[in-house]
Amino acid sequence: MDTFILIGITGIGLGALYFLVASGLSLIYGLMGVLNFAHGSFLSVGAFAGYWIARQLGPETSMVDFVIAMIVGGLAAGLFALLMEQLLITRLYDRHIDQALVTVGVALVVGALLGGWFGNDLIMFPTPMWFLTAVNVGGAMIPADRIIYIATAVLLLFGNWVLLKYTRIGLIIRAGVENRNMVNALGINVRRAFSTVFFLGGFAAGVGGVLVSVYSNGVSPLIAGSYLIYGFIVVVIGGMGSVPGSFLAAMLIGVIRQFANYYVTGLGDFVVVILLAGVLLIRPQGLLGKVRA
Amino acid sequence: MLRWKYSRPLLGLLLVVLAVAPMFTSFPLGKPGLQQTLAVAFIWGALALTYDLLFGFTGLLSFGHALYFATGVYVSCILINREIVSWWLAAIIATVASGVLAALVGAASLRTTGITFAMVTLAFGEAGHVIVGRNFFNLTGGENGIALNADFVPQFWIGVFNTKYIYWTALLALIVTYLVIWWVTESSAGRVFAALRDNEQRVQVIGINTQRFKLLSFVISGTLAGMLGFVMLIAAGSAAPRFAESGVTISLLLMVVIGGAVTRWGAVLGGIFYSFASTRMQDLTQQESFKSIPEWIGGPIAEPALLLGIIFIFIVMFAPGGLSGAYYRLRLRALTRKSS
Repeated sequence: MDTFILIGITGIGLGALYFLVASGLSLIYGLMGVLNFAHGSFLSVGAFAGYWIARQLGPETSMVDFVIAMIVGGLAAGLFALLMEQLLITRLYDRHIDQALVTVGVALVVGALLGGWFGNDLIMFPTPMWFLTAVNVGGAMIPADRIIYIATAVLLLFGNWVLLKYTRIGLIIRAGVENRNMVNALGINVRRAFSTVFFLGGFAAGVGGVLVSVYSNGVSPLIAGSYLIYGFIVVVIGGMGSVPGSFLAAMLIGVIRQFANYYVTGLGDFVVVILLAGVLLIRPQGLLGKVRA
Repeated sequence: MLRWKYSRPLLGLLLVVLAVAPMFTSFPLGKPGLQQTLAVAFIWGALALTYDLLFGFTGLLSFGHALYFATGVYVSCILINREIVSWWLAAIIATVASGVLAALVGAASLRTTGITFAMVTLAFGEAGHVIVGRNFFNLTGGENGIALNADFVPQFWIGVFNTKYIYWTALLALIVTYLVIWWVTESSAGRVFAALRDNEQRVQVIGINTQRFKLLSFVISGTLAGMLGFVMLIAAGSAAPRFAESGVTISLLLMVVIGGAVTRWGAVLGGIFYSFASTRMQDLTQQESFKSIPEWIGGPIAEPALLLGIIFIFIVMFAPGGLSGAYYRLRLRALTRKSS
């Protein structure tokens, strides 16, 4: 039973990391139809910015320092995302394939810059001492960092929900996902919603980048790639443009992957791909996705 | 017509020069180092062409093309190393296996379209990468890959002094790939591919089974990639997980876009340029004079992805059509000026 809880919570923790990547991908795709290959670079930018600030704050990283590192990582990635959107994406308005191609180029350039400056080897990420302890949950000893992942993801899901449900810009975003042309025709500036979504997606990915670095025991420009691919899988399974769908799919994939890996090493990734194929065959629009008119 | 009337004779001449040059050791092409670099560049050029058939000619944005290439590399290497069949039969089996895999994956993923298709093929490609990395049943050698056992392939492919045979093999593979793709794209099936890219609904209305033609394009492209996998095994001397990475497919996409899609020679040129530039950039940054550049500029420049990525963004933003597209635009301008 202990192992069962341990694997389950670790899986949810991993799912939380996937969700941080996938939520932005899903909104950006849902609203603008942009397949964002640069989302992995948002992750890396956030991770390195967080690493930098954590180093500046002193040799001993306290809990507060770590939260600051997460916020700075998120802001850096969000601003970077905004910059990319303004400089490149808006100029390729409605040329979806070209937009996807440009993001591939951005991902390459960012990877080369970070790799050139910091090297591709793992650099230790300073973490609070508390992360190394274990928390007793129903008899299982859970590594404390998992709890931070889950809490952050839930917080972001809640923040997302409040923003989308109760603010004007959230209303515009939701309407835009449903039917962008109609929103435009009603005389509402959808471009602002685009920028907001890019910033928010970048912010979530940046926060995710800091947490991923803790999970992988260090920062490196090479880590982002596999999380980006999992982010894509989560978005497809959860349904394009649906943030709750991404949350559900991320948790599902995290838990399934952990359990499969526990029983047969290396089986996890394989099971996830089978799951993806199954979802596509039975429900091509994803778990909570709507069929496009 | 936009084609220059001397282009075909000149291309023939270039091929003859490329084929004969390695025999003269005083030429740069007589050196094994350049021969090896060019052999790999030819394989990438051919691979980019198979990707152009999917992406440029049929309009299918696949992110899992590495899967079929890696299947060719690994299947032929395993068959040869374990002495199951002789090398030429291994090459044929590997090519067919890639085609069959492409048919299976294609049948599943072509149920989706557009961006979803891109994501699904990416996921299948990554599954392949994970499988070869895990070393199931001790077949693929895990992260280290497997070295080709030199005893079981013809001796003219082995050793530094025989690099010219690898070069000729790669050149031959490029020519064969080019001829097949030329034949396919100029055939009636090729017309359907182009029509699918431009307006799928209309093709459907005419009464053509669109799924079948998309699958055909997918399988032809995958089969050729598998054959090139065998040639890469000969040139690289080992099968390694880097051939199965999604980065391979992304490089192919870059090659096609830089060279220009749908012109055939554009993709080949893009592939050769990209591969050659990546190798040469690394050599360049090893040199003494490079050390004088400050670390914060020199570090990123040492990564070939930086320059190639910037060129790529530039082409997508400002010069869609790539190198070959720019050439045809210039040609069109020259011709209209002449006639007016």
